[in-house]
Amino acid sequence: MAAIGGRVLLTLALLLGACGRHDRIIVGAKNFTESDLLAEIVAQQIERRLHVPVERRLHLGGTFVCHQAILAGQIDLYVEYSGTAFTAVLKHPPVVERDSVFRQVASEYSRQFGLRWLTAFGFDNTFAILVRAADAERYGLKVMSDLSRVAPRWHAGFGYEFLERADGFAGLSRVYGLHFAAPPTAMDLGLTYRALADRKVDVIAGNSTDGQIAALHLAVLEDDRHYFPPYEAAPVVRAGTLERYAGLARALEELGGKISDDEMRRLNAAADVEHRDIRTIAHEWLEAHVP
Amino acid sequence: MSLLSFYSRNSAELLALTWQHVYLVVVSTGAAIVVGVPLGIALTRRPAWRAPVLGLANVFQTIPSLALLGFLIPFFGIGAWTAITALILYALLPIIRNTYTGIAGVDPAVREAGRGMGMTDGELLRLVELPLAAGVILAGIRVATVVSVGVATIGAAIGAGGLGVYIFRGVATVDDTLIMAGALPAALLALAADAVLGIAQRRLAWQR
Repeated sequence: MAAIGGRVLLTLALLLGACGRHDRIIVGAKNFTESDLLAEIVAQQIERRLHVPVERRLHLGGTFVCHQAILAGQIDLYVEYSGTAFTAVLKHPPVVERDSVFRQVASEYSRQFGLRWLTAFGFDNTFAILVRAADAERYGLKVMSDLSRVAPRWHAGFGYEFLERADGFAGLSRVYGLHFAAPPTAMDLGLTYRALADRKVDVIAGNSTDGQIAALHLAVLEDDRHYFPPYEAAPVVRAGTLERYAGLARALEELGGKISDDEMRRLNAAADVEHRDIRTIAHEWLEAHVP
Repeated sequence: MSLLSFYSRNSAELLALTWQHVYLVVVSTGAAIVVGVPLGIALTRRPAWRAPVLGLANVFQTIPSLALLGFLIPFFGIGAWTAITALILYALLPIIRNTYTGIAGVDPAVREAGRGMGMTDGELLRLVELPLAAGVILAGIRVATVVSVGVATIGAAIGAGGLGVYIFRGVATVDDTLIMAGALPAALLALAADAVLGIAQRRLAWQR
């Protein structure tokens, strides 16, 4: 109830925020650490280069909430992932042509929504099928194809978004022939990590750049059949906002290609495992990498 | 897709989820009554326990439900039992407090009259205090039940099922129809529970 109440409040806050906005840029983020962190980096970069007030609306619901918010002009930009936009927003079937995903997404967003994709940060945060490292060793699990051997005795727990998405569980179980002991338990994404670590489920779907993977002694199974499209993170900005603030595109392009998979995992761990403040993490990263 | 056509296409699922929801609420509120009413009575006998017990029950109320579920996973796993445990912890405060307040509020003169007639402590409780406090105790149970119907939607976060499944699915895909599909029957359940317990409460008041 509290979470639902929170979402209602958030919606109200969004609606109120839309009224009476002055000269400021509103940066949104989805409801997980990496999205918050990247939004904070983007926000500080804008403040450093443009000297415009930036309002942060972090930790909004999932993909769809951010998409609705940016379409309605309640946020000016947020960080989206190419594969997510491709399958979940544009509703394309998960594809094979990995290289064309980003280009195709960028051109369709521009045409359909008036939204611009800027240069990607450089890392690929794919869905990660996670098991406990001890189990991976005991059963010799390295790639996702190995999972079909043990699946009939195992239990899975997935977030609601993964269960509903076209590039989520339905396609995954078809491509890899997965049949678990029981239908996967639908639960809150954050709680799936805890359930896996506490041996209440045996396999979950997380994010490959997640800081918790090493901390909780989990192993990522490689997507050997390339089921998941690439999920390159990049700022998505309203075209109108780019026109209104001349230096905005240039300031954000400076961040392009600067964050590798390992770097993103390290930043996430700094927030999730070491519990450092994301403002400080973002500030230090910008000072060190984008002087 | 309209709500009605959604329901007509998914009526079996709706029934199953509603049943799971009712099950979560009935089992948890029942357990909270079994624990809470005797505890409330004990507090009237042992005034020193009052502050710590009510304080603890108060603390449970302040823990956000998603966080409480997270704490409970290591002990109860995922599924209905964890959700029920969380619901019990939330339901305790109104039941304990109203039981205590109801019995403590019995007119001392009435209690003295009972003792004067030679009643033991047990008889006094059964024949005098509980009947007089029943209305207040039931009011606490009523509050606990209505709150539980709402909080039980969060059980869907740990695979406990219930009407929260539609709400979580709807929030994950920004589908207002789905959110309404879960929220509307949950609200109706809460109203129904409130009405039924309200009638029971009036009956009790009328008998007195």
